[in-house]
Amino acid sequence: MGNVIMADLARIPELLPSIIEMVAKVVFIFTMNMGVFAPLLGWVERKQSALMQDRIGANRADILGITAFGLLHTLTDAIKLLTKEDFIPRGADKPLHYLAPFIAVVPALIAFAVIPFGGQYVLWGHKTNLVIADLDVGILFVFAVASISTYGSVIAGWASNNNWSLLGGIRVGAQMLSYEVAMGLTLVGVFMVYGSLRMTDIGVAQENFFHWGIFLQPLGFILFITCALAENKRTPFDIPEAEAELVAGYFTEYSGLKFAMFWMAEFLEMVTISGVLVALFFGGWQIPFVTHEGLVKFFGFLGSNFAQVAVMVVHVTVFWVKVLGWIFLLMLIRWTLPRFRYDQVMELGWKIILPLALVNIFITGAVMLMVM
Amino acid sequence: MSGTYRKVDRNVTLTLWERLYLPEVIRGVTITTRHFFVNFLSVTKAYFGGKPSDRKIMTIYYPDEKPVLPEAYRGKPVLVLGSDGRGKCVACGLCEVACPPKCISIVGGMREDGTRRPVTYKLNGAVCIFCGLCEEACPEEAIVMSDRYEGLSEYDRKLMVYDKEALLVPEEKLGKRLDYIRRRMFGKWNY
Repeated sequence: MGNVIMADLARIPELLPSIIEMVAKVVFIFTMNMGVFAPLLGWVERKQSALMQDRIGANRADILGITAFGLLHTLTDAIKLLTKEDFIPRGADKPLHYLAPFIAVVPALIAFAVIPFGGQYVLWGHKTNLVIADLDVGILFVFAVASISTYGSVIAGWASNNNWSLLGGIRVGAQMLSYEVAMGLTLVGVFMVYGSLRMTDIGVAQENFFHWGIFLQPLGFILFITCALAENKRTPFDIPEAEAELVAGYFTEYSGLKFAMFWMAEFLEMVTISGVLVALFFGGWQIPFVTHEGLVKFFGFLGSNFAQVAVMVVHVTVFWVKVLGWIFLLMLIRWTLPRFRYDQVMELGWKIILPLALVNIFITGAVMLMVM
Repeated sequence: MSGTYRKVDRNVTLTLWERLYLPEVIRGVTITTRHFFVNFLSVTKAYFGGKPSDRKIMTIYYPDEKPVLPEAYRGKPVLVLGSDGRGKCVACGLCEVACPPKCISIVGGMREDGTRRPVTYKLNGAVCIFCGLCEEACPEEAIVMSDRYEGLSEYDRKLMVYDKEALLVPEEKLGKRLDYIRRRMFGKWNY
């Protein structure tokens, strides 16, 4: 027993670069999600919607007269949510009521593990792959984890002992079930084209600008973005929390930090969806018409190692810029379209998107047979 | 559950193009995007260029920024104090008569040189409806509507009854309004 541990300890020096790499990647993604996106998207959403509707938006919170364009409202929000009473209604299922926000927020975080935010680089002889978990099943992992987060909403609706919450929870269940099916089928075309489920493979395959997912799978892209919006539970698919009908849907009875967790889950899901969209349809970390080798050559004057670092920085920046662009677009759609009715959502999912996804698979297969 | 349901005719007939939904979505998103960028650029310009009026958004940060009032704006009615230090009012009582809510009460009198003046001129600000009829009735341009709209409310109604001292404003400060009245009196709308 002791020998085994000693043997493991002896391997630490050779494993050290991998460990450092892994920790760095996890810390980076965690900070990006929890430190940058989760707090800032609230501000972005407020300001963007305000400007779209010819308003100015929240800008009154200040420290010594500095308002920083309303950025300090994130801080005041945090203080308010931290100090608020954590209310649990009488008759609620206490353990489940506690558990639900965690089930909602954690999957939103870990789904990002399989999304590559950069390519492969050789740094000082160590091969670095900028994705936390390069799983063979890749995108299926995202689906699996996203399904778990559905439980968070459903359980929240069930455990609150509130009619509106329960209705919201039921609607989440129905909506997620319907759109997960369609979502999986819309991506089959992508897998057929790239011949892999692994997200890094798909990313590498998109080095050629005209091999981006949006050009190879235009119909699949439109269907996927519709399903992704529905999975995100935001307008126009926000029937689970339709505030005109259900107060706030499944999180009606949540306050304080638990409410904040649902809020955060929504934003993190948006980041994840944007990440998946970019990775599958918008070339991931790739820059149009610029190959990896070309970029390495461009930075060649820095020496081979630092050239790789520079390329890495450029690629990671490009990836996040694309993600930000998609977040902007998702918010744009959220503040443009009115909410669908419940029956319309179901009809769109089962009667329109599902058949179209099957047609898309068929067409993709036919075209691939003809081309090859 | 089986039952009958009535299909509601909403009097909306959509063309095929509209029922495709996607083109209309793109149209809507284009509109909101245009609004976003127009406002974004104008707000940025106002912030760095420094002029609040550069903003294409109608909102005014009220206590920090004051609205630009049109010259026809009717604020607190005031008495004009001539450049010779005398009030222009001759206590004819036309404003008293013209005032719909009867908020003006005047007691007239004479100066030593024989010109007329109001001994007391009381205007009840709590009753005044800011209609501007006193201004129109006045033959001497003695009472005009100023552009003052702040600090007119009090916690005690007695404080809102303005006497002559509270109403007199030097002529120079009202130049704009006097010009406006003169233009209106002899302008093309007054025939």
